[in-house]
Amino acid sequence: MYQYTQVDQQIVNERVEEFRDQTRRYLAGELSADEFLALRLMNGLYIQRQAPMLRVAIPYGLTSAQQMRKLAHIARTYDQGYGHFTTRTNLQFNWPKLEEVPDILAELAEVQMHAIQTSGNCIRNTTTDHFAGVIEGEIEDPRPWCEIIRQWSTLHPEFAYLPRKFKIAVTGSQQDRAASQVHDIGLHLVKNAAGELGFEVLVGGGLGRTPVIGKVIREFLPALDLLSYLDAILRVYNLKGRRDNKYKARIKILVESLGIEAFRELVEAEWQFTRDTELKLTHAEVERVKAHFTPFAYAADAAEDTRLAQHLAEDEAFKIWYERNTRAHKVPGYRCVMVSLKPQLGAPGDITALQMEVVADLAEAYSFAEIRSTHDQNLLLADVRQADLYQVWQTLSEHNLARANINTLTDMIVCPGFDFCALANAKTLNIADAINAEFEDLDYLYDLGDIQLNMSGCINACGHHHVGHIGILGVDKKGEDWYQITLGGSAREDASLGKVLGRSVAADEVPRVLRVILNTYVELRQPEESFLECVRRVGLTPFKEKVYAADH
Amino acid sequence: MPLIINRQLQNVDPWTRLQSVEGESLSWPETKALISGTDWPTWAARCPAKLELGVSITADTTLEDLTPWLDRLSLIEICFEVFRDGRGFSLARLLRRAGYQGELRAAGDVGQDRLAYLERCGFNAFVLPEGRDPLQALAAFEQIQVHYQGAADDPRPIYRQEA
Repeated sequence: MYQYTQVDQQIVNERVEEFRDQTRRYLAGELSADEFLALRLMNGLYIQRQAPMLRVAIPYGLTSAQQMRKLAHIARTYDQGYGHFTTRTNLQFNWPKLEEVPDILAELAEVQMHAIQTSGNCIRNTTTDHFAGVIEGEIEDPRPWCEIIRQWSTLHPEFAYLPRKFKIAVTGSQQDRAASQVHDIGLHLVKNAAGELGFEVLVGGGLGRTPVIGKVIREFLPALDLLSYLDAILRVYNLKGRRDNKYKARIKILVESLGIEAFRELVEAEWQFTRDTELKLTHAEVERVKAHFTPFAYAADAAEDTRLAQHLAEDEAFKIWYERNTRAHKVPGYRCVMVSLKPQLGAPGDITALQMEVVADLAEAYSFAEIRSTHDQNLLLADVRQADLYQVWQTLSEHNLARANINTLTDMIVCPGFDFCALANAKTLNIADAINAEFEDLDYLYDLGDIQLNMSGCINACGHHHVGHIGILGVDKKGEDWYQITLGGSAREDASLGKVLGRSVAADEVPRVLRVILNTYVELRQPEESFLECVRRVGLTPFKEKVYAADH
Repeated sequence: MPLIINRQLQNVDPWTRLQSVEGESLSWPETKALISGTDWPTWAARCPAKLELGVSITADTTLEDLTPWLDRLSLIEICFEVFRDGRGFSLARLLRRAGYQGELRAAGDVGQDRLAYLERCGFNAFVLPEGRDPLQALAAFEQIQVHYQGAADDPRPIYRQEA
């Protein structure tokens, strides 16, 4: 993974001291609450319902074992012993003290981490495919490009006061596990007819109260032109994006109002000034960054192992976990291990300090000391020898990290909701608990196959409900929590926005309604047809009829 | 209000501010006239040639509005009505890219935490709101000493500088 140079370290260290000074001035009354708000958000610090919340950046989801141990230490020392992983692959601490945040940042800087631009109206953490570099059929590893974007966007002097937040995702293969089509900018590594590397560039996707699928602004951008083109998009947006209404300030609104053709013309016109300037990347710089992401020294004899086959034959629980929670690796004899942060009891994406240390130890012993956090709020040990899987599984099981539910209904994406978030209208964690209680039977879940359930506690859509196969949106009706259900969304390469099933349902009705929806699917499905395919084929009507049948 | 030019605190502002008011004519000063108001082009056109001319604008003004005047102007002041409005950062860069070499001033809601960014975007002068500590502000330029990306101050990203 990327290792800081002296320059990287200096920037992070100086930012810590700058933030320490900003916090001091705020506490001394020299800085207004409004001004400090913008500054602290740009450093990931929110003031939430119960306490401040600090969001630590995990660039493109990659952490070292050493960094994970530091996060565990911070959770114990400055927080209540746990953290929460988000869909931007960052980690949130829910209970830090405002005056201690500079010290937390200093601790992070010791292990090449920071909280820069994890919030605020600036360029946020760039995300990517959590299988980057380890799956078959990849065009190229997207992570060096993410790192190049990270450096360019960090403390960018011109783009720190954008109309609204700005999110970029990069994919390196035909599959999209980074929800790139619902990002402000989606970048897809592609090769042109001449075999040259570049990007297909999408712009204007997003969720929130106006969900939009991104549109192609450029089919092929030569790879070395990446930053000049991003610069052009950002400059047009910064100058022309709406600032009168925060709900209409995202770039998607500008793109929709101008139309993609007119927006493209503006960007291309701006780009002509910059494409052949110092913004053009150099081969040397790209190679320098790529050198941090070269493949590990995989054991040539890893596939000769026979223990895996033996354990699979002897231990049914292990076999189930293996099938559900591990994925193919491009190197024979290795597997990718999903660490489930979706236990039977507990908030989706939450992880205790001890669990962080357990994962760090496992990474160090069995996966080249690296850990990835995923868009769907799990962790991944990406490079585990098959011979070691049994041991890894046993350890994960002991620590409640091996629930064999990856990509099933209970592998939900869920925002923290009203229990923590000051923006939320409704609770989400109690609904997640109820779903876990209702759908405890794993065999039933396996029979249902891959289902992505996404839940948000408000229209801001941090839980990406629009792009869940099943989406749940919490709404407040006269002080009570109600839930609107959508079906048919997808954040993958076949991205689509879910459609509203009908009137919202009360909190205690949600599990029953889900049961009806799933039973309807089981009734209607054709052989091998997934839930999403089935919804797309039959439409919402049969589901609607069953769910609201009692009303008639 | 404290005025900083090229990282030096100024004792006096040599510019005379002229706010245009409808129906009234402006009385021109001896040397440096800084015009504000949306009808600034009208007054700029009438400004005696011997005077140095400056305009004070908001970010609603575009590069295209200013382009015909760039050779005539020796001061452009961009007023940030609220600090959240980041358009002035980009407008400054466009002005420098268009070849404007005169004084580029940031005024309005200009806190010390934005000074270094503003400077990197091409501003060289800053009018601080009343009550801000100018010495603390001067120190703020130095808080972050290295930068990844090129900007108006130096177009080279860090990796091109090391070469």
